[in-house]
Amino acid sequence: MSTRGVETDEQQRIRFQVELEFVQCFANPNYLHFLAQRGYFKDPAFVNYIKYLQYWKEPAYAKYLKYPMCLHFLDLLQYEHFRKEIVNGQCARFIDDQQILHWQHYTRKRVKLLQSQAE
Amino acid sequence: MTSHKSTREVLLTCIDDIEIIAKELLDNLIAQKQQKPVSAEHSQLVELVLQKDTDLKATLKLAEEQGVLQQKVVALETEVERHDIEIRNLQKQLKEAEQLLATAIFQAKQKLQAIAKANSRPVNSEELIKFAHRISASNAVCAPLNWQQGDLRRPYPTDIEMRLGFLGRLGEMNVNGHISFPELLHRPNHSMQQGSSVPNSQAGTYSWLSQNDLQMPGLSVSHLGVGGGMDHKTPKKENEDVDVMSTDSSSSSSSDSQ
Repeated sequence: MSTRGVETDEQQRIRFQVELEFVQCFANPNYLHFLAQRGYFKDPAFVNYIKYLQYWKEPAYAKYLKYPMCLHFLDLLQYEHFRKEIVNGQCARFIDDQQILHWQHYTRKRVKLLQSQAE
Repeated sequence: MTSHKSTREVLLTCIDDIEIIAKELLDNLIAQKQQKPVSAEHSQLVELVLQKDTDLKATLKLAEEQGVLQQKVVALETEVERHDIEIRNLQKQLKEAEQLLATAIFQAKQKLQAIAKANSRPVNSEELIKFAHRISASNAVCAPLNWQQGDLRRPYPTDIEMRLGFLGRLGEMNVNGHISFPELLHRPNHSMQQGSSVPNSQAGTYSWLSQNDLQMPGLSVSHLGVGGGMDHKTPKKENEDVDVMSTDSSSSSSSDSQ
């Protein structure tokens, strides 16, 4: 990234911040639904941009992520089928529910452990 | 060799022959009393008997020798059997050893593969711990223990968090004319510390970011007051407009815009 002569250091820093935040916004299925409804996923430039953002999967970049679920959605977004499906509100709701349930997986496990210990 | 009769048969035939000759002899003797003696035949028969007798004796001796040999053979056979058993035991042990070694080698190979795999992509343990803390401390991958339905915390950045982040305020910067970059940093610097998805200093390049590596408390809705004075319709960078977006998509139109 530092070999780009056109961008200054400042610009690179800003771009890093911006892309970091943007890629993590993908973890929000409602945001994806929002983008889909406004037709961003039909823009080939945007599709290319999503493809480009895959560099966040490398460990050197991934270590800055706070919401690692975004990487999974980034993968899903590479498929046109998913981009078409997420326009559907039901789909977005379903993904949201499943995501939250998955999020609670460890909590549930812990609660079960505590319960079994209490007995 | 196959034309030879067995010793037993030889003996038996010999005995049979002697019996026949003896009968002849006796017949002759009986006949002698009644008629003229045939002395030439008689002496022939006697000679024959004697010869048969010697034959018999020789054959008996042969049988005795053969008996001794047979005993030797039996002894050797038991010896052979013993050795055979020993060899089979050794074979079994060798097979077991081979199996054990094969398992050991297989496991060792697997271990070597795992080591090679680990060495190919080494990760600093401290970085690993930092990353683990970063994703867990803000409840990004594991729900908080007291989470209930209706709690607004989510495993992804909510719209409020998105607006409070760098991207959201960058849009504001574009709209409100040029706010200088350092001012943008210093102004709501503490909101960056409070759970927005801002990275920490990449080695050297981002010296302006404070070292808030491990200080990322969970964002709660009450922190909305920090960004006070910001419109809710902050346009984002480039061409993405962020309208009021609720976390549940019940308000957005569900028309299929395909």
